[in-house]
Amino acid sequence: MIGLILDALIVISLVGLALQAINAASLFRAILHFVVLGLAMSLAWARLDAPDLAMAEAAIGAGVTGALMMIAYRRLVELKPEGEPARTTQRSKLALPIAVASGLLVGMIGLAASLTEHRPGLAGLAVLETMDATGLGNPITGVLLIFRGFDTLLEITVLLAALLGAQAVTQRPDPDPSLTTQDPTTPLVGALLAIVVPLTVLVSVHLLKAGSSDTGGAFQAGAVLAASGVLLILTGRVEASDRPVVLLNLGLVAGLVSFILLGLAPLLQGGTLLALPGIGAIYFLESAMTLSIALTLVLLFAGATGLKRGRHG
Amino acid sequence: MSLNDGIALALLLAGCAFYLAGTIGLLRFPDVYCRLHALAKADNTGLLLICAGLAVLGQNWQTTTILALVWLVGLLASTVSAHLIARHAHRGGQKPSETKSRHP
Repeated sequence: MIGLILDALIVISLVGLALQAINAASLFRAILHFVVLGLAMSLAWARLDAPDLAMAEAAIGAGVTGALMMIAYRRLVELKPEGEPARTTQRSKLALPIAVASGLLVGMIGLAASLTEHRPGLAGLAVLETMDATGLGNPITGVLLIFRGFDTLLEITVLLAALLGAQAVTQRPDPDPSLTTQDPTTPLVGALLAIVVPLTVLVSVHLLKAGSSDTGGAFQAGAVLAASGVLLILTGRVEASDRPVVLLNLGLVAGLVSFILLGLAPLLQGGTLLALPGIGAIYFLESAMTLSIALTLVLLFAGATGLKRGRHG
Repeated sequence: MSLNDGIALALLLAGCAFYLAGTIGLLRFPDVYCRLHALAKADNTGLLLICAGLAVLGQNWQTTTILALVWLVGLLASTVSAHLIARHAHRGGQKPSETKSRHP
C-alpha cells in the first residue's frame, strides 16, 4: 500500500516536472525543473530495483548535466546581457493529438507488459548463466564490458566526440574567469574543499571497485570524480586554459585507447574481438574509463582545451 | 510494531516536519537572508532526524557511520553554500527586509 502511494507520487511528480521543464516561463526555471526531474527519475529507477541506473541518473542526469546546463545558461546570459528573450515558440496544433496518442501508446505498452506473464528474456538468462565464468559479481558490469562491450566502446567514443565537438565550436580564446564563485577566498570554501574533495575521490574509487560485484561502475565513478573537478573550477582552484596539456589529453583518450587495445589483443591469439582477457583487464579498463569520463566531463564544463592551476589555487 | 520501529517512525516524522517547516520558510519569508536562515537551519535538523531514524531502523554500525557521514557532509555543503549566497547578496547591496514583527 505504502509502496503504491510512493510509486503514484513519483509518477505524478515525474509528469508534472517534465511538463514544467518544457513549459517553464524562463529558461532558468526550465533548467531547474529538469534537474529535479533527474532526481525524481533516479527515485523511480531505485523503486524499479535498478540501483545502478538510479545512481547513474542521479550523478549524470541530475548532477553533471545540471552543472553543464547551468554553465551554458550563464554563457548565454553573458552573450546577451540585456536578458533572456521571451520564449515565443508557437504551439503547433498537432501537439495535443500527438501527446495524447503517444500517451495512449505508452499506456497500452505498459498495460500489455503488466498483463502478460513475466518471463525473463533469453539473453538475460544466458548472461546470468555465464556470469560465474567471468569472475564478476555484478551482471550489469558484465553486460557493459563482456556481453555488450561494443556498445560501451561506442559510448566512450561518443563522449570523446562530444568533447571534441564542443572544443571545436568554443569561440572563447581566453580562459573564462567568470566560472569562479564570487568570493573564492573565504575560509569556509577552503575548509569545504579540504573535506569534500578527498571524500569525493574516495567515493569514486569505491564505486569503481564496487562495480565488479555490486552497484557501481566506471560511469558512476567518473561522474562523481568529475563533480570534484567542477567544484575545484567553481572555487577558482583550477582554471580553464586554452593550451592543451599533454598529461590531460593522455587521460582523455586513456579509456578509449585501452579499450581498443584490450579488445584487439585476443585477435593475436586467435580469439574473438573484444573478448576481454580476464578480470585484471576489466579492472584496468574500468579505471581508465573512469579517468577519461571524469576528465571529459570536467573539460566540457570548463569549455576549454586544457586546465591549469587557478589564481586561488 | 516493535519499540525500535516506533522510535524510528517518530524520528522520521519529526524530520519530515522540520523539512516542511524549512520549505514553508523558503517560500514565505520576505528576503534572501531569512530564507537561507529557514532553509539551512530547519533542513539540517530534518536531515539529522531522518538519518537518526534510518540508523535506528538499520541497527548496524556500518549503516550508522555512513548515515552520520551523510549528515556531516550535508551540513558542510549547506553551511558553505548558504554562506556564499548570503555573502553574494550582501555584496550585491541587498538589504534585509524591514518588515516589523507583529508581536513586539
